[in-house]
Order: sequence, then C-alpha cells, then structure tokens
Amino acid sequence: MIAGNAISDRAKDFPKNFAKGFVMMDSSFDRRDFLKVLGWGGATVALTGCGFTSVEDGKETVVSYVEATDFMVPSIGVYYNSTCAQCDAGCSINGRVREGRVLKLEGNPASAINRGKLCGLGQAGVQHHYNPDRVREPLLRNGEKGEAITWEKAYALIAEKLQGVSGEEIAFLTGAMSGHTKVLLENYLASFGCKNHFAYEAIAPGVVRAANKKAYGVAMPRFNISKAKLVLSFGADFLGSWVSPVHFSQQYGQFRKGADGQRGVLVQVESKMTLTGANADRWLVVRPGTEGILALGLVNALGTASGDVAAAVKDYDRARVSKDTGVSVEQIDKLVALLKSHSPSLVLAGSAAEGYAHGSQNAAAINLLNQVLGNVGKTVVGPVSVPFPQMSPVVGNTAALANVSDALDAGKYKVMFSCGVNPVFSAPTAMKFQEHFAKVGFKVAFAHYLDETALQADLVLPLDSALEDWGTSVPEYMAGDDAQINIQQPLMERLHANTRGFGDILLALLKQRNPESYKNYTDYYAYLRGAVLQNKNALGGSGADDDEFWDASLSNGIFKLAGSVANLSGSISAGSLSLPNAPVADAQYPLHLIPSVNANLRDGRNANQPWLQESPDPLTTIVWDSWVEIHPKKAAELGIVEGDIVEVAGKNGSIKAQAYLFPGIHPDAISVPLGRGHEAMGRYAKGFGVNPFHILDAVFDKETGELAMHETRVKVSKTGQRVIVVKDEGAAGGKQMGKKIAVRLNTDHVDLSKEV
Amino acid sequence: MKDINEDIAWAKINTDVLKSLENPRKLYWVILAVAIAMIAVAVGCETYQYQMGMGVANMNNPHVWGLYIATFIFWIGMSHSGTLLSAILHLMHADWRKPIYRFAEAMTTFSLMTAGLFVMVHLGRLWQFYYSLPYPNERGLWPNFQSPLLWDAMAIFTYLSSSILFLYVGMIPDLAICRDNIHSGWRKKLYTALSLGWEGTDRQWRNFRVTYLTIACFLIPLAVSVHSIVASDFAMSQQPGWHVTSFPPYFVAGALYSGCAAIITLFIILRYVFRFEEYMTLSILKKTVRLTFAISMVWTYLNAVEFASVWYSHDVASKAVLIQKATGTYAPFWWMMIFCGSVVPLILAFKRFQTNIPVLLAVSLLLNLGMWLERWMIVAPTYSHGYYPWTWDHDQWPSFVQWGIVFGSFGWFTLLFMLFCKIFPSVSMYEVKEMVYHRTLAKKNLGSAKGAH
Amino acid sequence: MSVSNLLENWAEFRHTHPVDDVPHDPYKWAMSIDLDACTGCNACSVACYAENNLPVVGKEKFLHGQSMHWMRIERYWDEDGRDFPDQGAQFLPMMCQQCEAAPCETVCPVGATNHTPDGLNSQIYNRCVGSRYCSANCPFKVRYFNWYDYPTTDNVWPAEMSQQLNPDVTVRGKGVMEKCTFCVQRLTSAKNTAKNEGRIVHDGEVQTACQQACPPGAISFGNLVDADSKVFKQWKAQHVEIAEFEQAKDRGEQDNKLRGYRILEELRSYPSVMYLERVRETAV
Repeated sequence: MIAGNAISDRAKDFPKNFAKGFVMMDSSFDRRDFLKVLGWGGATVALTGCGFTSVEDGKETVVSYVEATDFMVPSIGVYYNSTCAQCDAGCSINGRVREGRVLKLEGNPASAINRGKLCGLGQAGVQHHYNPDRVREPLLRNGEKGEAITWEKAYALIAEKLQGVSGEEIAFLTGAMSGHTKVLLENYLASFGCKNHFAYEAIAPGVVRAANKKAYGVAMPRFNISKAKLVLSFGADFLGSWVSPVHFSQQYGQFRKGADGQRGVLVQVESKMTLTGANADRWLVVRPGTEGILALGLVNALGTASGDVAAAVKDYDRARVSKDTGVSVEQIDKLVALLKSHSPSLVLAGSAAEGYAHGSQNAAAINLLNQVLGNVGKTVVGPVSVPFPQMSPVVGNTAALANVSDALDAGKYKVMFSCGVNPVFSAPTAMKFQEHFAKVGFKVAFAHYLDETALQADLVLPLDSALEDWGTSVPEYMAGDDAQINIQQPLMERLHANTRGFGDILLALLKQRNPESYKNYTDYYAYLRGAVLQNKNALGGSGADDDEFWDASLSNGIFKLAGSVANLSGSISAGSLSLPNAPVADAQYPLHLIPSVNANLRDGRNANQPWLQESPDPLTTIVWDSWVEIHPKKAAELGIVEGDIVEVAGKNGSIKAQAYLFPGIHPDAISVPLGRGHEAMGRYAKGFGVNPFHILDAVFDKETGELAMHETRVKVSKTGQRVIVVKDEGAAGGKQMGKKIAVRLNTDHVDLSKEV
Repeated sequence: MKDINEDIAWAKINTDVLKSLENPRKLYWVILAVAIAMIAVAVGCETYQYQMGMGVANMNNPHVWGLYIATFIFWIGMSHSGTLLSAILHLMHADWRKPIYRFAEAMTTFSLMTAGLFVMVHLGRLWQFYYSLPYPNERGLWPNFQSPLLWDAMAIFTYLSSSILFLYVGMIPDLAICRDNIHSGWRKKLYTALSLGWEGTDRQWRNFRVTYLTIACFLIPLAVSVHSIVASDFAMSQQPGWHVTSFPPYFVAGALYSGCAAIITLFIILRYVFRFEEYMTLSILKKTVRLTFAISMVWTYLNAVEFASVWYSHDVASKAVLIQKATGTYAPFWWMMIFCGSVVPLILAFKRFQTNIPVLLAVSLLLNLGMWLERWMIVAPTYSHGYYPWTWDHDQWPSFVQWGIVFGSFGWFTLLFMLFCKIFPSVSMYEVKEMVYHRTLAKKNLGSAKGAH
Repeated sequence: MSVSNLLENWAEFRHTHPVDDVPHDPYKWAMSIDLDACTGCNACSVACYAENNLPVVGKEKFLHGQSMHWMRIERYWDEDGRDFPDQGAQFLPMMCQQCEAAPCETVCPVGATNHTPDGLNSQIYNRCVGSRYCSANCPFKVRYFNWYDYPTTDNVWPAEMSQQLNPDVTVRGKGVMEKCTFCVQRLTSAKNTAKNEGRIVHDGEVQTACQQACPPGAISFGNLVDADSKVFKQWKAQHVEIAEFEQAKDRGEQDNKLRGYRILEELRSYPSVMYLERVRETAV
C-alpha cells in the first residue's frame, strides 16, 4: 500500500486486496496533483457541483467522471483522517468522502484519544460543515445590516483600523487554541507588541486545573479509569461532557469488564444527576456545594492520614459530614469500606464540585482524598507533553472573560477580534459583557454563523468549516503514552467560495505586518507543509522523502512523538484548606440553580446542528427545548406538574421554561440545561429553549477568579401556562410496568471472567 | 295485530311505492345538498392527506391505525343487517321482513362501498393499493396470503359483488313493474334494460325463486366470514387486547347489532319521508326492535365473555389493556360504549317504547354511536398500552383530517342511499303483494267456509 | 406467472420457527449489547442518523410521536418508590430486533417485509403500500413510518444538508415504513468483497454504524454462524439459543451467573439481539 491518505472503502478493511482491486492507486500517485485537483493547491476542479465555483468564469475546468482521478471514482468511498473540532478533546476522525462530498465521520483507530470511536457531537460535525446558515461572505456593518464585501476590502479595512493603534489597544478573544494557528496568532499579536490574547471557554474545568496544579504539579494529569477498581467522582461528568468524554467512555467500557474479571465500581457524588451519575453503581445526592466536606469526611473516616492532613480533617466526623451533606452515616461507612478494599481507586473532581465560590477548596479537598488513598502514580499519572511549547494548548476559562469584560468596561480597546467564542450568548447578563463590548471602536468577528456575538461585530469574516480547513492541534488532555499532534485536513473542497481558513486569514494579516518573513507561503497550507517538513526529523520522518513523509502524515492524521512525561508531586498537604460550612437557606431565593451541561449541546456552539437538537437528552429524553428539572417532592410542594411553564427568577433576571419532574436532583436545587435559547445562529438554533447563562450571578471562585456557575440562587413560581413536554419517553414515564426490558442484576450474581 | 293491513289493493301498492320514485320534495334536495357538502369535506381532507402524507391525520408510532380502521369496521358491520333481513329471515320464512328488506339490502351494499373507501384512505401509498391484489404480473409477485389484511380485501370484494347481485336479483320483478308503469324518459330505458325481459311467467318465477334462494344461502356464510375475517385482522395479531379468540363471533354480533340499529333509524326516516305508514307498520317495527334487543344482549354477553377471558387468562399485557380501557385516557369513550351498547337497549325491552317512534329514533342513533365507539375502543387502546411501555401514549388524538373523512363517509352513504331511493323501489312491491295476497285468499276461504254453513 | 408459481411461493413463504426448516448459511447476522457498558450517550443514535439518511422531523412532529430514530435510547428508573434513583438509571438501546419469526412479516398484505437468507428482517420500500400493519404487530414498536414526505419538507435536508446524504441508502418518501436494517448496505458491500475472494466475511470486517461509534464498545455485531465470531462466543457463553424462547438463565441453570437475555422472548418472535444485563455493585 502506498502512501495513500485516501484509501477506499474496501481498502480500509483489506489493504492487500486493494492493490488488486479495480480501484487502482499506483505508486506514481502524486499528492500535489491531488491537492491541485481538490482545490487545495492552485487551480481547482469543481467537485461538489454546488455552484459558486469559478468554473463559469473559466478559472477552473470540469473533469469528466469518465476519466476521473482514482480517488474519486463514482460510488467508491474514500477515507481521510482529520481532527474533530466539535469540542476541544481532540478526537481523530476518519471521514468518508464520495464523489467529492464528505458523508460520514468515524473515529480514527490510531488515535490514543478516541481509538476509533466517536460521540454524537462529533458525528454531527458534518452538519456544522453543511449547515445552511453558514456565513458565506465577509460582512461589513451598515447600520443594522451586514453588507457583503470582498476579502481585499476586508483586509484593507482591518489594516486601516489598526493604523496608529498600539498593541495595548488591541484584544484578541478566542477559545482554546493550540498548534500552528496558535503560533500564527501569537506571532501576529507579537507584531503589535500586544499581550491581550484572552482564551475563553464558557464551560471549562478552570478551577480543577488550578487545584490539580497545586496538588499534583500539573494542570491535567492522566486519569487511568480502566485501571481503577473504584472511581469516586465528585460531579465529573466524564462520560458526558467532561474533558475528553470519548476517551473516558472507551476506558469506562474496559473498567466495567475489569482486567481480571473484577468489575470496576463507580460512585458518583453530585446534586444533579449527570450522565455519569446515571451510570453509577451508587449515586449519592449531596447538598449543593458540600462535595468538599464529604471528601474531607472520607479522608477522616479512612483514618490513614497523619500530620497536617489529619489535623485539617479532624473536625469532619461522620455525624457532622452526614448532617452537612445529607449522605447517611451508613452510606459513608460503606463507601469507606469500599475505598479500602478496592485499590487502586480514582477520585475525580468535576464541574459540580468546582462551581462555587469555594470551588478551589472543594477541588483541593477532593484531590487530597486522591492523595491520601495513594492513587497518585497509579491511576493519576503524569501526562506526556509535546516537546514544542509554542504549539502546546492555551486552555480557555471563564476568568478570561471576566478580565476582558472589565478591560472593555474601562475602554481599553479600540480594536477587538473574536474567534470561536460567543460571549454575548454565554456571559451572564450580570457581567454586562454586551454593553462593554459595544464600547470597542472596531469589532471583528471570525465566524461560521451569525451568532449573537457576530451580530454585534462591525466586520464578520466567514470561516471555513472544520472539514474544509487545514490545521494542527495539540489536545489539552493527552491520553496516550506518546505525545500526539493532531492534523486537520480538508475532507472536501470548500462548500462556499468566499469562506477562508482561520490560518489563511492570520497569514494574510501577518503579511500586512511582516511581509518579508511570510512571503514564501502562498497560503496556510503551504505554511503548514513547510513547517512540518522543516521539522520532519523531530516528527518521526528523518531520512524520508518530503512528499512521502507529508503524504504519510496526512494519511495517519496524527503525529506521535515521544514526549516527556511530567512527574507528579508526591507531597500531601492540607495546606490552606478551609471549607465553608454548609450553605444556609436563603429565604428569598431558596433554590440552587444548577446549569447542567448536556453532552451534545455543551455551551451552545453546536445548537444549530439538527441531529443534536433532536437527539434526546439521555436523562429526560427531551428534545428541541429547555426544561427545568425539579425533584418530584419539591414539585408537589410547589404544586408543579410536568409541563407547567415555570419562572425561574434570580437576582439577575429570570427565564421561563417547562417543568420536568426529575428524581435525580436534590430537592433544594433545580437544573436548567445550557446550550439552548439562542436568539440568532440560524433556523435550527434560534428560538428553541431558554438560555440560563444569562441569569447566572456574577460570583467567582475566590482563588482562581473563575465564574462560579453553581452559585446562583433562584426561586421558582408557576406562570399558569402548561405545555406538553416534547420528549421521547412515553406515558409510562420510564417504568417497565413489570416487563423484562432493561434488566439489572447484582455483582454477586455474575462472573465476568467467564464472559467473552 | 297484523303486520300490514291485508285490504290493500295490489294496484295501490304499485302506486304508493312508485310515488316514492317521483318528484322529490324540498326536504330531499336539502338532505342531498347536505350529503354532498359532507362529501366535499371528506374529499378536501383526503386531498390534503394525500398531498402532505398520513402525518396530517395525527397518527404516530406506535399509534399507526386510527379512526379509519375503526370506521371501516363500523361500515362493514352495518352491512350485515341487509343480509340478516333478506337472507337469514327469508330462509326462516319470517314474512314481516318483506316490506323492509329492500332498503336493508341497499344499506348493505352502500355501507360496503363506504367501508372499502376507508381501506384506501388508510393506505400510506394509496397510489400503490393494487399491490395488495393478486393480479397477474410478469415478475410473479403475489401479495402475502398469510396476511389477514389480504383476506380482508378478498372477503370484502366477494361480499360486495354478492350483495350487489342479491340486491339486483331480488329487485327484478319490481323493476318490471316500474318498466310497465313508466312510459318515457331515461327511467323507462333503465328499467327495460335492468328487468331483463321479465314477464312474470311461471317458468320465470320458478327460476327466480331458485336463484334467489341459492344466492341467499351463499350469502349467509359469506356474511359471517367477512366479519370474522375483519376480526382476524386483530385476533391474528400478537397485540394485547387484540389477540382474543372470541373476536370473530363478537365482531359478527356487533355487526348485526349495529346493522339492526341502523335499520330502525332508516325505517323511521323512510316511513316518514315516503309516507310508507301502511307498509312499514308499527307491528313490523316492533319485531325489528325485539330482534335488535335480542342481539344487543348477545353482544353484551360476548363482551362479558371477552373481559372474563382476558381477566382469567392471567395475560398481564392484555389485562393491562383492559384496565387501561376502563380507567385510562379512553375511559370516557369506553364507558360511553358500554352505556350505549348495553344499557340503552334495555329501553327496548319495554313494550310501550317498542313502538314509540321518537324514542326509537334516539335509541337507534345511540346504539350506533355505541357501536362506532366499540370499534374505536378495539383499535386505539391497544396502541396506547401495548407490550412496550416506552412507547405508550404520545399525543394520538385524531386530527380534523380523520374526523372530516369519517364525517364525510356518512354523507357518502346518505348520498348513495338517497339516490337509490329515488331510482329503485325501496319497498319490495311483489313481496308485499304476497302478504296481501295470502290474506285475501284466507278471507275468501273464510267466506266460503261461512257460506257452507 | 402461474398457479404453480403461487403455490411454490406459498410453500417457501415463511418459517414459523427459526432455523429448523431452512438453516442460515453462511450468514446469520446478530448482535449483542452489553448494558453494563452502555452509558446512554446517544452516539449510536446520531451515527444511525448519519449513516441511514434519517430525517430530523423537528419539534412539532416529535411532539406528535412521529420521530424517526431507528435506534432509540430508552431510560428507565427503578420502580421501588425511593426518593432518589441512587443506583442510577437504566439505559437501553432499542432498534429492530431482526426477529427470526417476525410478527411484522406475516401480516404485511403485500409481502414488503421479508426474511433474508442471512437472517435479516428486510423492508422493501418500493413494495410497501403503507398499511402499517407491520408496525401494529411489532411488539417492540421499532418500525417508523414516513408520515410526511421528508425529502421535500422544509429544513429537513435544505440545499447543502442534502449533500451529506449517504448515496448507498435510499431516501424514503412519504407513506412507507422503515426501520433498522443492521446497516444492510455495509453488509452487502462486505459480503460482495468476500465473495469475490471466495471466502466468507471475517469477524470484525464489517461494523454497523452504531457499533462503530459506540464509545464504550457496548455493541458487538457479527455472524452467528461463524464460530470464531465474537457474537457467537458471547451468545454461547450466555447459553442463549436463537431458536429457544426460554434460555438456560430462565431455567436457573449455570448457577444463575448468566446475564444474557432477549427482550419479550416469551412472545416467541426469536429476536437476533441479545442484551447483557446491567450489573450493579451491592457493597456500596
């Protein structure tokens, strides 16, 4: 098999047969020609037949299928490896392309992150690409409307607006970034002497990163779920949306089977059941915010701690912990016994634990439990880092948003760029981001769709979809034993002629600043190829022919490098640990608002992908709408039944949504999912559901400054309206009515070692 | 009390009946217009459904069958009355059937024609309906002979053609009377053609009797089998609430029941509209009512048998469906069905109501409402409470499209029936004459006996 | 076209009991789903939409129960009346069970749903007249009817979206029934490749879309005739026999250490999907 980055349907399974098959890919196959043809080189062929090509004006020629290139024989699927951009986990994808159209995404088995698997969110990547509501032309604000302009004009406009503006007066707001786009961006900002790059992610484990850094010495160690015999997770939805869910789910499959037939046990501690909680052997509901207290109580009950740790936890006896958290003493005893018998275990701190003003303390207490159990070095191990620090990821967090919002308020910036984030949608109204954003003289948004933030911009630059663009990225959570750099390559020709890759735009902007250094690179592809080949020895291609190495790299979709493994710190210290007492009831706003993160919709950036809108929420099975989860007991108290439109009012506004009675939530809490409630972003997102981001109180974690997402208190009242909840679950309400449908049995009735 | 007054002269019978074919009254046109308007509603709904897809009827998974199938069974049921009156009672020499069997037979034919339409309306791909017929084709593709739905199609076609034949054959002597009494126009041509040169010779009468008797004998098992087959649509399935052994007799009883109720309704209407008081006498009505009462009790009994067999079968799913019927979403309709089907007919047991026309009209309409509800209560609750709880009860309330088509079907039936009444004699003249003839003869005999004294 | 042809067809029309009269050879596709590994994440369902051209029906039609998810994830709660579901929820992926004696097949008036020689319950869209009797008789309610003409419905597949449609799979118009096919287009392709090479399809050579996506690897799929296949081994290890309606587990054999079962097996439709019971730790 030659260096094919394009392999056919059949070839995927039988490489040997492939060469004999009727789809010939002989060794003279020339990648450069291929690129030319697919439009990634210079001249292109119209492959998609979707219009807007330059065939009409004679710049391109149409090639007949009769003498089609071997990688696009009609009816033969071709597979390309690339990287999923639906979330930041960095799963490698394998896209099926037929007749020049990308049809379906699968996981790339070579990636240590997802090992050939792909979640629903990732699958929906094609709907991001084919979305009918994508921005197709650069748009310049003209009053309330956007006027289509040319790229030349757009670039000229940016140059003009940046004239005489100092580096301090420019800000660049992005999501998490890594790889060569990050390099280009930093080079660009450096050309102004600008240090205002803010990486913002509305949902990010910012507090946990900081706590990990303190406890283990690294922000994101590797968690070996498959090796753990017990996973005790404090609100970490690692099967749903936390950090690298496909990787964790894949590990979870092994964890449940157990290496030696001993099935792993999962205990989840949280106030609102997440997908992970729904899969737990024991789901422990705790009073919101008391996760840390339970962790310290467990440390105390284990009785193995000494020194300052023992001193720090001595007040947390079982009775007090039970009283504060609501977890029974008996349950604590059982859990302690299990922690002792199931070693190594793994304790995870997730978003439910970190979302409080004392989130850092919670996370520290949970990490302490991990340390006391001796899991560090066994199930919590040092991550591998990429040897190129320039490419390593800038992780996003919410503190960045607070910083940028304050700076905007102070009127510091004259020109602001925003890319890949939608703060107008995802910032709490209390932060007044939109107001502050309006103070900027010239706002440029790089956008796929006209989302809420793009609508506020003065200039909107349409981006290529993730399946049309080139790039490299380095995942924050490095799953394998090797360091991994992911390659993103186009799976098909640009769908719309006037969109551009983020890298291409940055390159064009850099050429404005620094034409000499970048003149050799006609486009981002050339830059990327040049960059890779320049360093091919380090990337595992020493001695290889340039073209062959490049082709092979694209074919693999990833670079695997021997990276350095970070050592985890071994010291256990209770240090500055001081947890507040259990929260007291608020008379005016008696309920905790838990904004829940749905694995598909996350922070709402994918809400316009109809598969995700119609994919039922796993726990409530609701589609196309938001809901308010409320415990049946609380609902009975308030006289609420399913489908009642309730008003959830906090200090910073209110939202109205349908009530759903949900047993998996603390009676003192309600939960509203994030991600819906868009006021823009196209036909599949606009007008569906409500946006709980907006009513969050602007409370921050005391140590890290991260937004404390779970600190909002609300009250719930009926509005008198009632609707039928649109959900998949029928009238039986998830009961099996005595039928043997989904069956469960206890561990003592099973012998996994005998199973296949 | 005699069934009809024996003193009526034969000529008067001809005049009275033929009068019903003449210039319609204003009321007739009004009814006709209403019927056509109702059909227009149904046609509109069906066109919309055809264009958009079955979804506009608001059916869903799992609730894939709706009012169409329920109403289909209802009309099939209606068709049984004609056969009962003309064939079964004919064989049993119940003479009181004679003045009323003609319109009952017409009812059979027209309700079958209505029922057939519902099969079409129900199909998702109406334009491919012929796939379900065993027609010769090059590819050797046959329909699935295992499917009760195919049996249905065949049984209905056979039954329809037989009933038309039966209706027509029984009408030949009357058509000849029409031919002889009408002297011009299209009617003359029509009756001439249809009466097949009937002269009333002995030989013709003999052949006629034999033919008529043969078809009657053929029709009886057919009628029973048709509704048994419709019952098989349900009984042969695997679904709780449908998979019931007693369904075929239960369906047949239900069919006779609704048919009789409909006869009472039409009896009263025709009697009033065409002033047929002399022929459709209260005495005959009383007998019809008593027959209806008897059948209602049979139906009630079979209902009880069904419940009991479900209850004692310990089949959890079927039992759950039964409980759901009595207590769930459909409870109001189900209890209404019990009330209309088993309680209301008790009125018919009282002698003073057996000839009380306003009461009987109301009761007969209620009985038919009950019987329609029965069919709906067979179809719907099984869907909303089947084997698989996850799929129980989405919003399955029939949309206006379903209601519109069901509503329009009554217009269609009315239209056909009204046209029939104006074109063909709705009372059998020659058979009424037989009744009068017998009495005259008896009188004569009585007279001669007196003379002998 | 003759009566003999009719009688021939009649005789070969259906099996009342699986395997006995016409054994499957060389293929009998089957599945097993480990409910202990399934997390209920819905990845399989979305993958199915992508592979099989399933329409997104929108909120209003979903409300009316007209959704088209061939693969649906059901979520069950414990029914013991406790305040909190403290042993989590139960997830169950449910799709066509490809019954060996399928209730849907016998009732179709036009024979649009049939059993294939490799044990699939196939649906012939062209032949379907839309009587919906199959769905009425399906115990699992996994058949989905095209209540509307989705290809021409607004916002189902608008201009660019339609380019994603899989050319290997028909886009169904209004009035026909459809359901999970075990990704028959993938099976056919794999079988053809194998046939060209004079062999049968190896285990793992072909995956269904749901199986391929499933992050925890809860779904296994393969050839039940092939003794080397994982599915065969799993069924064997669980003592689940395709042609039985009561298994060793039901009879309390093997020390009750088995967890394989088939749903609504007592109805004797002989499903081709075996589920492995979810396991829960008792010590906590």
